[in-house]
Amino acid sequence: MRTLENSNPIATAVFFLCAAGIAMFSRDPVITGLSLIGAVLLWMIQGEGGHWFLAVFLLAGTLVNPLFNHKGSMVLFVLNNNPVTLEALLYGALSSAMVVATIYWFRSFSKIMTSDKLLYILGSTMPKLSLILSMALRYVPLFSRQAKTVSDAQKTLGLYREENWIDNIRGKIRVFSVMVTWTLENGIITADSMEARGYGAGRRSFFSIYRFTLRDVLFLTGSLLLTAISLLAMYGGDTPAVVSFYPALEVISVKNWPIKTWVSYISYGILVFLPAVAKVGEEIKWKYLQSKI
Amino acid sequence: MEILTVENLSFTYPESCRKAVNNVSFGVEKGEFIALCGATGSGKSTLLRLLKRELTPLGELTGRVMLRNADIREMSICDSAGKVGFVMQRPEQQIVTDKVWHELAFGLENLGTPQKEMRRRVAEISEYFGISGWFDKRVDELSGGQKQLLNLAAVMVMQPELLILDEPTAQLDPIAAADFIATLHKLNRELGLTIIIAEHRLEDVIPICDKLMVMNSGMLQLYLPPRLATQKLNEYPALLKSMPASVRIYHGLNKKETACPLTIREGADFITGNFENQIKKIDFCMKAAPGTPVLEMEDVWFRYAKSMPDVLKGTGFAAYKGEIFCLLGGNGSGKSTLLKTAAGVVKAYRGQIKVLGKRTEKYKENSLYKECLAFLPQDAQTVFLKNTVREELAEVGGAERIPQKLFALLSGKEIFDLHPYDLSGGEQQLVALAKVLAAKPQLLLLDEPTKGLDARTKEEVIELLKELRNEGMAIVIVTHDVEFAAETADRCAMFFRGEVIAEDVPEQFFASNNFYTTAANRMTREHYENVVTVEQAIALCSRNEERSGS
Repeated sequence: MRTLENSNPIATAVFFLCAAGIAMFSRDPVITGLSLIGAVLLWMIQGEGGHWFLAVFLLAGTLVNPLFNHKGSMVLFVLNNNPVTLEALLYGALSSAMVVATIYWFRSFSKIMTSDKLLYILGSTMPKLSLILSMALRYVPLFSRQAKTVSDAQKTLGLYREENWIDNIRGKIRVFSVMVTWTLENGIITADSMEARGYGAGRRSFFSIYRFTLRDVLFLTGSLLLTAISLLAMYGGDTPAVVSFYPALEVISVKNWPIKTWVSYISYGILVFLPAVAKVGEEIKWKYLQSKI
Repeated sequence: MEILTVENLSFTYPESCRKAVNNVSFGVEKGEFIALCGATGSGKSTLLRLLKRELTPLGELTGRVMLRNADIREMSICDSAGKVGFVMQRPEQQIVTDKVWHELAFGLENLGTPQKEMRRRVAEISEYFGISGWFDKRVDELSGGQKQLLNLAAVMVMQPELLILDEPTAQLDPIAAADFIATLHKLNRELGLTIIIAEHRLEDVIPICDKLMVMNSGMLQLYLPPRLATQKLNEYPALLKSMPASVRIYHGLNKKETACPLTIREGADFITGNFENQIKKIDFCMKAAPGTPVLEMEDVWFRYAKSMPDVLKGTGFAAYKGEIFCLLGGNGSGKSTLLKTAAGVVKAYRGQIKVLGKRTEKYKENSLYKECLAFLPQDAQTVFLKNTVREELAEVGGAERIPQKLFALLSGKEIFDLHPYDLSGGEQQLVALAKVLAAKPQLLLLDEPTKGLDARTKEEVIELLKELRNEGMAIVIVTHDVEFAAETADRCAMFFRGEVIAEDVPEQFFASNNFYTTAANRMTREHYENVVTVEQAIALCSRNEERSGS
């Protein structure tokens, strides 16, 4: 298997959809726990940090929930005539863990799925929309850079006052209005350049720098299969929840877990750890290949 | 075999009584490299656009354009788009997509080429053009030269039979421009590609072209091999100015019995073969001691962001009242940044900059930009904010505040009612100059003022700058145009690795440089000692001729 960054974008996107999707809708502490560990691990194997804020968020979410939610039967203590319950505390922990895990998944998603990859996914289904997006991605930085140069140039002309915020807004309006002209003017050249290269000649095909290899197919079917198994095992039939919080905390002990629950946990576990396993596998393989150089 | 045939082609723009292209007929053989030249407004661009169906402007058209005996107006869309490639002037605006690889594939996508075929062609073209190194980059990370090369590659990937280029190097620095022309030469030589190129800067094109085409007010005046065409150029004095140094020296010396030299080497042979070198030096008067300093930079350090490398590393120099100071340096060496720092657009983190003896930070509000310092950025378009040139000039105070000579020059061009964006590059530069000069500055900072100028406007700019200098203005110019610096500057210096080095008068500066010097100097350096400009070469050769004759 290849690492997540190097896989085909469609396979990568499906993986994120599955891993984060289950995590977002599940109220199961084990699934949430697996999802959190998997997501943090994926974020870390890309050499990224920045955990502090989310750790604080996790803690705060846990502590805040019992202050507003007084359901449950195990009262820990009474604060301002309101009971603070164990159930609410644990439920707070579970919900904020779920949110934090989702945030981690999306962090990795936005890092791994570059604009190229998103356009590839879009392009294979909607080539025209994909082209428009690509042009927009080209145009936005061009516009902001030109606006900056124009505003610098106008500053050095010494014609306009820059004493207060009204002058500043006037300056911004002047720049904006000339930028509209500039955009139209450039648009004509770009349109010429597109037409000269046969734009609108017929059905567009779509060029991509990504391929669909056997490994991508395996990865894609694997992700879908594991997700399907996990979902079926969890929701197919009346598998009881491992933990239910309200009205009173009820936990099924590990030795009494039904087979279906185990199946669901194991397949989701394999799914979320796939990228980390792939990364380590690649790493080992690379070391081995390097030793042969 | 004739690949392109143009028969009695005429074209009139709507609401115009003059024919922009007037009864033009010519034929181009397969594999020919044709250079098209003519003054601004001679109909070059219109003619080129008529050769490509998709770009043909609206208007009244008569005559025929045939590509391999098929009328281009009757070809299929795919053939017409693919068989004639067209590269325009502005590198930035021709790029459509955000990534280099996507831009390369854009034309093929339009024609619905299958994925596998596209992969091969894109790979092939990026290897041929040396793009593989920046294949994955975003297009806004590229330099101007790379952008134009990408535009060329994106057209070549469609495998055209005829390539048309409309002033493709006007926005490039001389080194990138020479590289671009060299790539065209390679395409022509190795693939037998037929090329028609319109150019202002003919130094690099003339020696390699098969035929030179000269246009004047819509009509085709000359269509001959370059050696014959250049010999006849004394009939077109305006065009002569844009010719390579060797051709200008040849025409200045009146030696009609010899063939016209086209390259530096031929030019050197022409001079050594025809002229003595009893007088080896021209005398130039050393300028009097410098006046009061207007701009002083001392140990200035600058970087764009904390984590980025220094662009200015202890830069120090001074510019004095009544002089033109030219700073030369390669692309991306930080010349423009130096000028921006001096103009107060960006702030140095260390060192001091004094304008008229006062530190720039001490100028309150925008008093620095009132009758003190004016800065014209590289892209002259950026100073325009109005809808017509008239409004643009009125905004800054009109005729009273703009130097008389410049105002008269602009009036003569009949451009007051046009939109500033519709002007030619040279006219834009002049209007922008008028706008910044209206602040009556004592210090003028110019960033690449000759970029995209035709020879005539360039001459006008030089004359104007010299006059301003004589009136006591200090002018600091950063440029990589060595010919311009040699002709204009009172002092020159190199900007290298964030420092100003080798300050000298141009005669000594260029005479002691081996590589970074003017064509006239390279042509004469073995024969004479300190010739820098074409005029000096002509003068010295004539003096030697007189002495040996008498």
